[in-house]
Order: sequence, then structure tokens, then C-alpha cells
Amino acid sequence: MDFLLDTQALTDFLSTSLRLSIPIIFAAVGGVLAERAGVFNISLEGCILAGAFGAAVGAFLSGTPVGGLFLGIAVAACAGMILAGLAVGLGINQLVAGIAINILMIGMTSYLARLILGADATSTLPGFHPIAIPGLSAIPVLGPVLFKQDFLTYLMYVTVPLAWWLLYKTPWGLNIRAIGDFPVAADSAGISVPGVRVACVMASCMLAGLGGCYLVLSQVFVFTEHMSAGKGFIALAALILGRWNPVGALLACVFFGLTDALQLRLQFNSPEVPYQLFSMVPFVASFLALVLFAGKVRPPSAIGKKYVRGGK
Amino acid sequence: MFLRSFRLTGLLLATLVAAMVASLGTAWANEFKVAIVLPGIITDKSFNQAGYEGMKRASDKLGIEFAFSEKTAQPDQPQALSDYARRGYDVVIGHGGEFQESVERVAKRFPDTRFIIVNGTKPGGNVSTMSFDFPALGYVMGYLSGKMSESGKGGYIGAQKLKFYVELGEGFTKGFKDARPDGEVFTAWTNDWDDVAKGKEAALNQISQGADVIFPSMDNAVVGSLQGAKEQKKKAIGIYYDAIADWPDTVLQSAIFDLRNALVTILSTAKDGKLEGKAYIYGLETPEAARIGTYHASVPEDLQKEVSGLIDDIKAGKIKTR
Repeated sequence: MDFLLDTQALTDFLSTSLRLSIPIIFAAVGGVLAERAGVFNISLEGCILAGAFGAAVGAFLSGTPVGGLFLGIAVAACAGMILAGLAVGLGINQLVAGIAINILMIGMTSYLARLILGADATSTLPGFHPIAIPGLSAIPVLGPVLFKQDFLTYLMYVTVPLAWWLLYKTPWGLNIRAIGDFPVAADSAGISVPGVRVACVMASCMLAGLGGCYLVLSQVFVFTEHMSAGKGFIALAALILGRWNPVGALLACVFFGLTDALQLRLQFNSPEVPYQLFSMVPFVASFLALVLFAGKVRPPSAIGKKYVRGGK
Repeated sequence: MFLRSFRLTGLLLATLVAAMVASLGTAWANEFKVAIVLPGIITDKSFNQAGYEGMKRASDKLGIEFAFSEKTAQPDQPQALSDYARRGYDVVIGHGGEFQESVERVAKRFPDTRFIIVNGTKPGGNVSTMSFDFPALGYVMGYLSGKMSESGKGGYIGAQKLKFYVELGEGFTKGFKDARPDGEVFTAWTNDWDDVAKGKEAALNQISQGADVIFPSMDNAVVGSLQGAKEQKKKAIGIYYDAIADWPDTVLQSAIFDLRNALVTILSTAKDGKLEGKAYIYGLETPEAARIGTYHASVPEDLQKEVSGLIDDIKAGKIKTR
């Protein structure tokens, strides 16, 4: 663990942690939004993939990362529309709908990527480059880690407090939470339950799509099939560990990012520690959180249930 | 009652179809027939697709008849394998090391059928295994990397500690150190074959520790590692195909394990009736199955010659790569 004492190594380690956690943070905050409104969003994984695919195609066709960002969000929104239509509109089992979207996205993005990107699949796409914030980036260690980042990272810094503020400090947030916990009361107060749920699911998927955009436009600059590689599911674990709170989810994601980076780093310094141990950490931590917080924190109580006016 | 009669009809139909297939089988009796059972889908752009395409190539080249079952789950393996054996296929292939046990069980019941396990570990009797000489190519790549490295540090990245990939890394490390006795190779396991972001972070990590030649051996995630090396203007080694085509600035050389041609080779042996119950390991002496690719322009000619000499020495058994 002596690398923690060396400034440069510590900076590298923390940067790796942050980069690995950002896509999960976007997805987890998106997940919080949907689940607070009472809709399980299992399709986070598919939405990340949709966002990554859209980002790659947009950047490829327009030649600018901004074009990629817009198309990425748009494709993720399409996935959100499917989920909203199935889960809120038709009242199909939300878990089944989410899984269906995940499978659909793997197949569809692979197929379309081959059609559109074709032979250029491994050529580097235009992406966002780090911009140092004057002053702040001069802080030792934390400066270069936090304030010498690209546009999407700064966007994440804004998104998390904004989501928290929206959920806890505004009437809209109150509506969302009411619908997630007790839709009958919200309905009788004149709030459209399906309307808010659809909006939350769409926003949720677009946020997860931003995570996918980050993967392509800020991290690897290429698209590969199934590049989401389970991040959506890690995000689901993070939002449980974060107790359905955007800030909690952020902390959980950073914690997961740290364990991932530690796993890559520790292998050099102490190869006798099995690498599988660290891969387990996110899931063990989520389990522990569920057990420790059992009774104290509960998921939104109307989650997963279709709301029928006048129904039981 | 209705249901039961329905089921009975189904059974009768199945028998009828089986009988028809069997009669067809006898009609083609003099044709050499091979079946392959695949664990995944034939469009995965990787292991399974290579297996399927290898069969297709073999059937074109050698004029053999072939059948395949894709996406066969582990519990269904013995069933699928023995079905082909019963239907008179001359050779039945289990595509992947996970077929070791099921093939062993089935092979005992069909002594006249030949079985091949790709990446299998235990041959014997009518069971042959086929794999690549991973350490040999790893050694060559390691040697080249050691000579080309400026910092004297290299990096090997794998997904999971499976036997063949551990051996590949060990060969790479040994070659690196033989080229450069004071050299050092970092090894990292990402535990994910497809996670591009993690593949890149693993490469960046090794680069930040001083490594300047990276050898990733995952599936999809390799792209991330190569991207990381490219961004940091470091070098890398490709795997499975001549990767310099896609990474002209980055890739020094590639370790090409050609599963398609390896299948053609082993099946032509089988067609000649010469297949034995032993391990067929394709190394540098069978360049159609395992070879090196194109050199990066920065590799000096002397070194290229040295590497060719090295390959000859390995073929002659003068160098131990393990």
C-alpha cells in the first residue's frame, strides 16, 4: 500500500478510481430517480449501452463529441421510451420489461454498429478533452484528480447535487417521492401518476445514457459490442447501498471505483492477494448494506406496482 | 387425456424424424462426417465464431460433411455429443475446455467415434485434444518486447487466471527477461473479458508504473488496453489476428492463434485416419495455426532477423519457453 504515500502514484490511483466510477454514478443517479417514482429500472445496463452506441455513431457522423453527446442521449431516451411504454403504459412486469430492453440493446447495438461503423470500429473517435480549472487544479493531489477533467465529469459534479435538490427541496421532488411511496395520495392531490413516472423513467434512462457517452467520448474513444459490461447492474447495487439517495449513490459508486482501482493496483504490489476478492467487494458491500440497514431504510413502497386508479 | 395423446404424437413424430435422419445417414455413409458442439453463438466474433468458420473452411477444403449445435449449455453437452455419435458422425468436436468431462463420459460409450476437445486437457483412447502452444508465442512476443522496451518494463493483462492465459503470460515474462535480464513484467488480471474501460485502466496503470510495451489477452477488452497504450504513445502486442491493421501506430507485432486453420489441420489428419488419442498442440512449427504477424516499422531489421532465428530455435527445441 506504499503507493498511497507517493503523490504521483496517489494521483494516478484516485484518477483511475474516479474514471471507473463516473459511468456508474450517472446510471445510479438515474436509477434513483426512476425507483423513487416507483419504477424498477433494470434496464440501466441497456441504457448505458444505448448511450455509448449513440455517442459513437454521433461522434463518428458529426465529427464532434457534442454531436455524439446529443445522439447518445437521444438513443438512451428511445430505450427509456420503450421502458416507459411497457412498464408504465401497459403495466407489464417492470423487471421483465427491463431485462427485455437489456437483451434488445445488446443485439441491436451490435448489429447496427457493424452496419454503421463497420470497418472503422477501432478507429479513434473524437472525444472530450480535459480542461483544467485555473486555481482549483493547483491543489496538490485532489486538484488534478477532481479539477483537471473533461466536460462530462464536470457535468456529473452538477448532476448529483441537482438530483438531490430536485428530490428533496422542490415540490416536484415531493411529487416524485409521494408517487413512489403512496401513489393513491398523490393521485388524489391531482398529480398525474403515469405522467410523472414516464418523465422519471425517461430522465433515468437519459442519465444512464450519459454514463455510456462518458465511456465512449471521455474514456476509450471507441465503441465495442457490449461495452457496458455489467456497469448497469453495479449501478443498481450502488443505488441500494446508497439507500435510494443521489448523494448516497454517488458515495457508493466512488467506493466501487476505489475497489476496482485498488484491485488493478494491488496486483503489482502484493500479487498474493487474489484478484477475485476485489471483484466481489461491490456485491458483498451491497449485501451487507441490505442486512445492516434492514428495517431502517426501505425501498419506495409502491415500487414495481402498476398504479390503477381506484384499484387496490 | 388430450395432452397425453398429444405428447404421444410428438414422440411418434420424433421417432419418425430420427428414423429418417438415420436412413439419410446411411445414404451418406461413405462421406466423412464431422459434428461440432459449441458453447456459445456462432456470431460472437470470437471463440465460437472461429470454431464455426473453421468447420466451414474445413468442409470446403476437405470436402467433408458437417453439422453443428450452438449455444449448448453444460448440462446438455453429453446429450448433444452422444446424439451425433449415435447418428454415425466420424468425428465429434467439443468446442472448449469445459467439454472435457462430458466428452470423456460419452467417448466410452462410442468407441468407434473419434472425439476432439478444443483446449482440452486430458487426451486418451478415442479422445484427442487440440490447443495452441501458448508459451511459445508468448515467449517470442516477450523477447521482442524486451528488446524494444526503453524502460525495461512490460505489462501483461489477462481477464481470468485460466491455465492457457497464465501460460501465455509466463511465456511472455520469460521471453522479456531473456531479452533483458534486468527487465520486469507486471501482470494484471481484470476479471472481465469484455469491459473495455477496465482494460484501458489496467494498461494505464501499468504504463504509470513505467511499462512501455503492453500485451493484453482478453476478448473485447483488448481494445481498451490498446487504446490506452496508443494515447500514452506506448507500444503493444496484438493477439489472435494481425492487429497492426487496426492499430498502425501502436502494435509492434501480433501473436496469431488461428483457430480456423487449426481446425482444418486437425480435421485433415482425422480424414486421413491418422488421428490419435493424444494432445495436438499447434505451435510455431505449424505456422498456418500459430504464427507471428506483421512488424511495426520501428522494429529494426536486425531484431526481426533475430526473432526469426529465435523462432527456428524454439521449433528445434533449443529454447525452453516454459
